[in-house]
Amino acid sequence: MIIRQSSSTLNVLFRVRVALGVLLVAFLLLGVRLWYLQVLKGHYFRVRSENNLLRTVYVSPPRGLILDRNGTVLAANRPAYDIEFVAEDCPNPKKTMADLAQIVGQPAEELIAKLGEQKRRRFEPKVILADVSADVLARVAAQRYRLPGVILNVVATRKYVFSDFAAHTLGYIREVTREQLDNPQFVSYMPGDLVGQFGLESRWENFLRGDRGIHTLVVNAAGVKISERSYKQELIGHNLSLTIDATVQAAADKALAGRRGAIVALDPRNGEVLAISSGPSFDPNIFAREVPVDIWRDLVNGVDKKMNNRAIQGTYAPGSVFKIVTAVAALSEGVIGPEERINCPGFYMFGSRPFRCHKSSGHGLVNLQSAMAQSCDVYFYTVGQRLGVDRIHDYAKRFGLGMLTGIELADERVGIVPSTEWKRNYFKREEDKKWYPGETLSVAIGQGAVTLTPLQIARAVSVLVNGGRLFRPNLISRIESNYGGYRDQDFGKEPFVDQEFDARVIGLVRDSLVSVVNHASGTGHKAQLKPELNIVVAGKTGTAQVASIAREGNDEALKDHAWFAGYAPAQNPEIVVVALLENAGHGGAVAAPVVKAVMEAYFTRNGQPAQTTQESIRVAQSSVVKEVTNAH
Amino acid sequence: MLIDRRFFASFDWSLFILIFLIPCFGLIVLYSAGYDPDRTYFKISWLGDGIHSLAFIKQSLFLLSGFLVLMLGLVIPTSWLYRYSYLFYGFCVLLLFAVLLFGTVSNGSRRWLNFGVFNLQPSEFVKLAVILASARYLSKNSPQEGGYALWELLPLALLIGIPMLLIARQPDLGTALSVGAVGAFLILFIGVRLKAIFTLLGVIVAGAVPAWTLLHDYQKRRILTLFNPEADPLGSGYHVIQSKIAVGSGNIFGKGFLNGTQSQLEFLPEHTTDFVFSVLAEEWGFVGCAFILSLYCLLFMKILRVVLKSKDIFSALVAFGIGSQIFFHTMVNIGMVIGILPVVGIPLPLFSYGGSSVFSVLFSLGIVLGISVRRWVHIRGT
Repeated sequence: MIIRQSSSTLNVLFRVRVALGVLLVAFLLLGVRLWYLQVLKGHYFRVRSENNLLRTVYVSPPRGLILDRNGTVLAANRPAYDIEFVAEDCPNPKKTMADLAQIVGQPAEELIAKLGEQKRRRFEPKVILADVSADVLARVAAQRYRLPGVILNVVATRKYVFSDFAAHTLGYIREVTREQLDNPQFVSYMPGDLVGQFGLESRWENFLRGDRGIHTLVVNAAGVKISERSYKQELIGHNLSLTIDATVQAAADKALAGRRGAIVALDPRNGEVLAISSGPSFDPNIFAREVPVDIWRDLVNGVDKKMNNRAIQGTYAPGSVFKIVTAVAALSEGVIGPEERINCPGFYMFGSRPFRCHKSSGHGLVNLQSAMAQSCDVYFYTVGQRLGVDRIHDYAKRFGLGMLTGIELADERVGIVPSTEWKRNYFKREEDKKWYPGETLSVAIGQGAVTLTPLQIARAVSVLVNGGRLFRPNLISRIESNYGGYRDQDFGKEPFVDQEFDARVIGLVRDSLVSVVNHASGTGHKAQLKPELNIVVAGKTGTAQVASIAREGNDEALKDHAWFAGYAPAQNPEIVVVALLENAGHGGAVAAPVVKAVMEAYFTRNGQPAQTTQESIRVAQSSVVKEVTNAH
Repeated sequence: MLIDRRFFASFDWSLFILIFLIPCFGLIVLYSAGYDPDRTYFKISWLGDGIHSLAFIKQSLFLLSGFLVLMLGLVIPTSWLYRYSYLFYGFCVLLLFAVLLFGTVSNGSRRWLNFGVFNLQPSEFVKLAVILASARYLSKNSPQEGGYALWELLPLALLIGIPMLLIARQPDLGTALSVGAVGAFLILFIGVRLKAIFTLLGVIVAGAVPAWTLLHDYQKRRILTLFNPEADPLGSGYHVIQSKIAVGSGNIFGKGFLNGTQSQLEFLPEHTTDFVFSVLAEEWGFVGCAFILSLYCLLFMKILRVVLKSKDIFSALVAFGIGSQIFFHTMVNIGMVIGILPVVGIPLPLFSYGGSSVFSVLFSLGIVLGISVRRWVHIRGT
């Protein structure tokens, strides 16, 4: 049978034309779609293909060093070993984490939780355990053959060379917090970055951190690096040289060790802080690792409030140390002559109410010099009453008391120097606003409402001995780039406020302070330096009551705060040292020996710059020189 | 009288050149798709270098032998095709049953028969068998004026439906769909009453719901990702996204030969086989795509011409069936690559790397060339 040819029932030409139409429409559709993808959205897809193959890798530079005034390294960098995990190299991440957990002795769930969702950058190492101990490191290294994807990485971590040395001043660094990342100030930070969180580490973060290196890599789909497209060299952070003298600071830290208190040592001539110490201290090195919650709580809220920098945040009644101000005010205002004698029977009758002297048997007849030496309260009650509180207040302000010193440490507290105006403003209830003359007597001997920080007192003593220059205490002597260049002119030359004092008055008060330490009857003779130094110390003791004398008991928390504020050499002072010891007893007995120890450390110090620092700075600079020659 | 003077006189040279040219451009793209700068597979001494693409070398060999297969298709008399079409069809269906019973499993589906020395994928032959058997049935049972009624299509539905179901069971959705689509093209070409078409459409829509439940999860995901590939960028949407990035980033003139980052850095999966068109689009841009698409379009127009010039309905239907088969694969593949059709594992005819595809496509085109040559020959039925 012959198959029928195309006939009237099957119009092939028509059908082929329809098919041709379908064909052309189909290809037109493909063409339109290609035009859309390749031309209209071509740029978008070109960018997406670039994003596919380019990976940005950031290199964190070593943080700048913190050095003392002589070049001793206080905060350095040390290698820390992280255990990291690369998801794409591991067929079964959960099993590997379980194995790892067994090796390091931690719950498997904790490690698995750290994997998180990391589908997008599977090639990127994720930190599982940061800064592990040498023991853990060795165990993991030995078992790595059965831990696919696990790698050991070395990163630079902060090392505070002398542990709890000047901890409150240096501060510490810690991983940037979520709240900080939300803050525009931290726009250049990425999760996992280390940030100075406290002390100078925080204050000078922008200089210390350096510039991160940015490497743009070309990778394939498996995340394997193919080539490097561009890179920006990381820059080491600036080195921060402090005015702190490590020898003096160490002596201060040692004197405080474990005790609640603060020590401040200033150079009265220029306001440089030689030592600033708060006790009890802490070891900032612990923040390199994760800080256990209980330790953190103890640091912040424990009985000792270790994180409190008592030198600038502790406000205490200054006690008899304040008599320096009262004396200057009284002599300057002429309410008493330098030789005028006042009888001390052991109490001062104010109306019908007796104000007691610390020596209940009385000092007999005292003039300025003997009243200061023996710290006679009755003498100062008398001149205080003659002055009135507002004049005491005015002189205290001229010494910078009850004012922020402006030191570059966070959260400094201002304290209180009371006045009638202060009382009017401070209290809400009308009956509280009235100033009672009896209160003036307390203020005159540094009790009552007066509260000051140890640093304020150290600055006030400096003003007394430096010709009335009220300066901002300075911690930074120099900020030095590892690549040449430094800035130091901005730090030492804070504008001083020159206070007008009667030189004769100042001389008289300073003479009286010499006798506090050196007169046979003086309360501060324990501050005398060892005789071979042949240096005369002057100063004032203070024993600040925490509770009224009547309630005095054995309770530790009710014991008096011990103060000593001194300077040396008495005629030409180079150093002012203030010591405060909480609930420690008599200033002359407890605080004076502490000041003596710090001063002796100062006068016997070895001022040679540390060799290591000079070496490290030189090495860093030479690497840059190499960089520059390559570029040319 | 297989070959005589008239053979050469009437040989469709322009169709043959198109069939030859497209794989040649395909080889250029495959050289890039399989490029590995670190390995030299074939040293050329006078060049001081060699060939760095294994896919290029193997595909060249496939194509060389493929043109022998094309000759084979060319010389088989159309009458033989007619005579043995049902037998061939029956044999293929048996092979499909054998696959389901004894086939080897790879990648979760059972598609191959293992004969020890070689593997056979019966679904490749089935495509041709269905075309031949349908052509014979349709040419023998021409419809009345106005086209087929629905009941007249029942035997044909079985003829196409049985192998379709068997292939779908493997499962190989792409091939099953292509068998069904080619059957539908043939029926539409012959002519169906409008009423029948609408009834069928209704059945298909009604059947789509239960069919959806029968689909494998990965097949469902592929269809769903078509509508929103970004929902699962690393899972089922990955292929589509990376392919669209490759195509789109080619812009007008492309990134240049061997410079396609999506393929060279292996972001693009299956870039020598199913996604070879993305490599073309990335490296040669819109211009390259438009050029290659015009070649394909010309090829199909030439095949339609063969259909038109055929002296008998069987030949016309075979040529049309083969043409629509290749057309369907081309559309589905490119549609998938540019993100307008779901990802089904269908290679781009004459372009994708792979022996099976090269042989089956060239054999079919050999048959089309043969039909064009034998325009004067009338087939004698048995």
